[in-house]
Amino acid sequence: MMAWAITAFDALLVALLLWLAWQAIHADGLFRAVISFMVFGLLMAVAWVRLDAPDVALAEAAIGAGVTGALLLSALGRLPERDKEAPADRRARGLAAVGLAALALGGATALATIAWALPAPGLGREVTEALPKSGVDNPVTAVLLNIRAFDTLLEIGVLLLAVIATWALGPMQWSAPARVMSPALPVLGRLLFPMFVLVSAYVLWRGGHAPGGAFPAGALMGAGGVLVFFAGAKPWITGAELDPWRWLLSLGLVAMLVAAVGVGATGRSFFEYPVDLAGLFILALEVAAALSIAILLFALCLGGRPPHRWGSEDEA
Amino acid sequence: MAWAAAWVIAIPCVAGALAFALRGALRGLFIALGVAGATAAAAALVVFVARDGARDLALGGWLAPLGIRLRADGLSAFFIALQAGVGAIVSGYAAGYFAGDREGKAFWPLWLTLWAGLCGLYLTGDLFNAYVALELIGVTAVGLVAASGGAALVAGLRYLIVTLTGSLLYLAGVALVYAEIGAVDMEAAAQGLGPSPVAHVALALMAAGLLLKTAVFPMHFWLPPAHANAAAPASAILSGLVIKGSFYLLVRIWNDVFSAHADDMLAELMGVLGVAAVIWGSAQAIVAARVKMLVAYSTVAQVGYLLMAFPLGGDAWPGAMYFAAAHGLAKAAMFAVAGAIARELGHDDIAKLGGAAGTLPAGFFAFALAGVSLIGLPPSGGFLGKWLLLSAAADHDHMLYLAAIPAGTLMAAGYVFRVIAPALAELRRAPRPSPWRLWREAPPLVLALAALALGFSLSPALVLLSRGAPFGGGG
Repeated sequence: MMAWAITAFDALLVALLLWLAWQAIHADGLFRAVISFMVFGLLMAVAWVRLDAPDVALAEAAIGAGVTGALLLSALGRLPERDKEAPADRRARGLAAVGLAALALGGATALATIAWALPAPGLGREVTEALPKSGVDNPVTAVLLNIRAFDTLLEIGVLLLAVIATWALGPMQWSAPARVMSPALPVLGRLLFPMFVLVSAYVLWRGGHAPGGAFPAGALMGAGGVLVFFAGAKPWITGAELDPWRWLLSLGLVAMLVAAVGVGATGRSFFEYPVDLAGLFILALEVAAALSIAILLFALCLGGRPPHRWGSEDEA
Repeated sequence: MAWAAAWVIAIPCVAGALAFALRGALRGLFIALGVAGATAAAAALVVFVARDGARDLALGGWLAPLGIRLRADGLSAFFIALQAGVGAIVSGYAAGYFAGDREGKAFWPLWLTLWAGLCGLYLTGDLFNAYVALELIGVTAVGLVAASGGAALVAGLRYLIVTLTGSLLYLAGVALVYAEIGAVDMEAAAQGLGPSPVAHVALALMAAGLLLKTAVFPMHFWLPPAHANAAAPASAILSGLVIKGSFYLLVRIWNDVFSAHADDMLAELMGVLGVAAVIWGSAQAIVAARVKMLVAYSTVAQVGYLLMAFPLGGDAWPGAMYFAAAHGLAKAAMFAVAGAIARELGHDDIAKLGGAAGTLPAGFFAFALAGVSLIGLPPSGGFLGKWLLLSAAADHDHMLYLAAIPAGTLMAAGYVFRVIAPALAELRRAPRPSPWRLWREAPPLVLALAALALGFSLSPALVLLSRGAPFGGGG
């Protein structure tokens, strides 16, 4: 394609991104702001593709647009109708916003000036050289599940603890999700869910040799669950103690810990997978992590401890 | 040695997950085993470091700059010892505090994972891994605050926004370092960062984020409501341990990564903020209306002394570390007593404390002993920490710090006696002491005695702190 067309596309993308970011913060209604934010996430994913970072693009689309959007929408549904702001408040807020924006713009310009001059060497070559020992062909998966697996372990811990902290805030506030506008929605949700599972499994399997892996797969499956839930389905997960779902929620973290420590039985060091079995280790951990991530993201979208038994609305 | 470092992180992490998945007696058993195991692993690690010196561990056998490197030196071991010591005793206190309480259900998984996150932070030799550990610490600490509901919910939400902002600033600094040298390993960064402006900007961003998380004046606004409204065991953990995590990381990168870029201007600025924190925090503690608020503002003040090490350097470093440990013990004791007061009397109003020492004799004794260390009276850990800071200030003729430290000491005496004096007047016995009273009084007494005992163990601590020369030279 002609170079000027690509440049024009990039310029349009950047302009749209800036406009959507502004809309997400300053749109009149919260609903408009949330939708702007979701579209921003989608376009951001396109921007990552343009920057040759398809893994980041997948994660951005699944998490930035999908899961975060669902979280924001479900929070929005529970907010009481907002009182109209007094004009004075609005003006004060506008002034503060302009001040902050000026400050942020100044900071960003300074940072950009510095960043422009950075050499940005990166570790791509070293990772490629280490790939044969890592057990997979996709450098991103190799880094996430083997070379820097400890980072991933802590990140999955963050997700699990975010759910525990959310549950600690109290039971979920849910005014019966049965206010369905269209009778086709539940059917559509049920039809779509197997597709979500299929695509997630594909993305997970792909992670071994191409962009994909546990995080986008888990996020996709979680988003599918949220969709079915919004369409009126009753989830299996409950707040009851001894709920087997609690084991599935902690599975990702526990599996990584067991693998990291378990290799010690064969005289290896912390996190040192046997080289010839590394591929198997990574596959098992990816499946465990993806399952956990899917259910964790779904549990987050419930926005509180689910009831002990789904059924009667008064319990929720 | 390598496995001791791994267990220090893995044991509390597994225990945290089990505390979420199990219930009943089995859950209690695994929590107890987790606390005992994590404490034992920490003790083993400290012994190894004291005996054999600093040691590196390349995770998974991947060497830097590719993989993550754990590093256990004297500074790491010192803070892990503080974490395990205070952590084990506060765990015992929490078991009594939450007995038969719904709130305790969320406390244990949050607290045990927080323990793992802090130990991970103390052991990592990797700038990005430290960021992930900071995130784990942040989400669990916010959960500990918000789980109390009511006013704590609002304070917790504000804390969440603050801690995320701090993490983002730190992460921006890490990104700059990576873009400059293509590595996030601390040692590689120390060697690779030349005299470029990028390193200065990175340090400024990271320092700003970490100072915000440490609640340094004037970025302390989030701390008093968060620490004062959380449940007492959570407050003890947050004030005694959590803010030490971000402070540790700042000390670590200042000395080990940016030693060539940490200029005097920035150091002086941090010292001046420290002095302002001592004065402002103490003044707010003197006028506070509730015991927990008083203790929380005292934390704002005590953080100020820690910052004085940056401009003073030299002996002030181990002095500030010693002071941090003494503060961790004494502050955990004070919040534990404040919790016991609130549970026995049903309130923690300073104006209505008259004669309360009759109800909680051991509790107020512990509060007074912790106060001795907090004020900095001999013999106590607080005294030795302040002494090292003062002598460093005298060596350099730093009049500002020479004046600020005694002034802060007087003000600390003022707010500690505000609680002790009315409690001892006209002793009254409670008509019916609660059955849990002793369990709520004994742990703070142990903590306060430990803060005093620090006054007699300076030389082994200095030897431990010098392992691996974390402060350069002889440290």
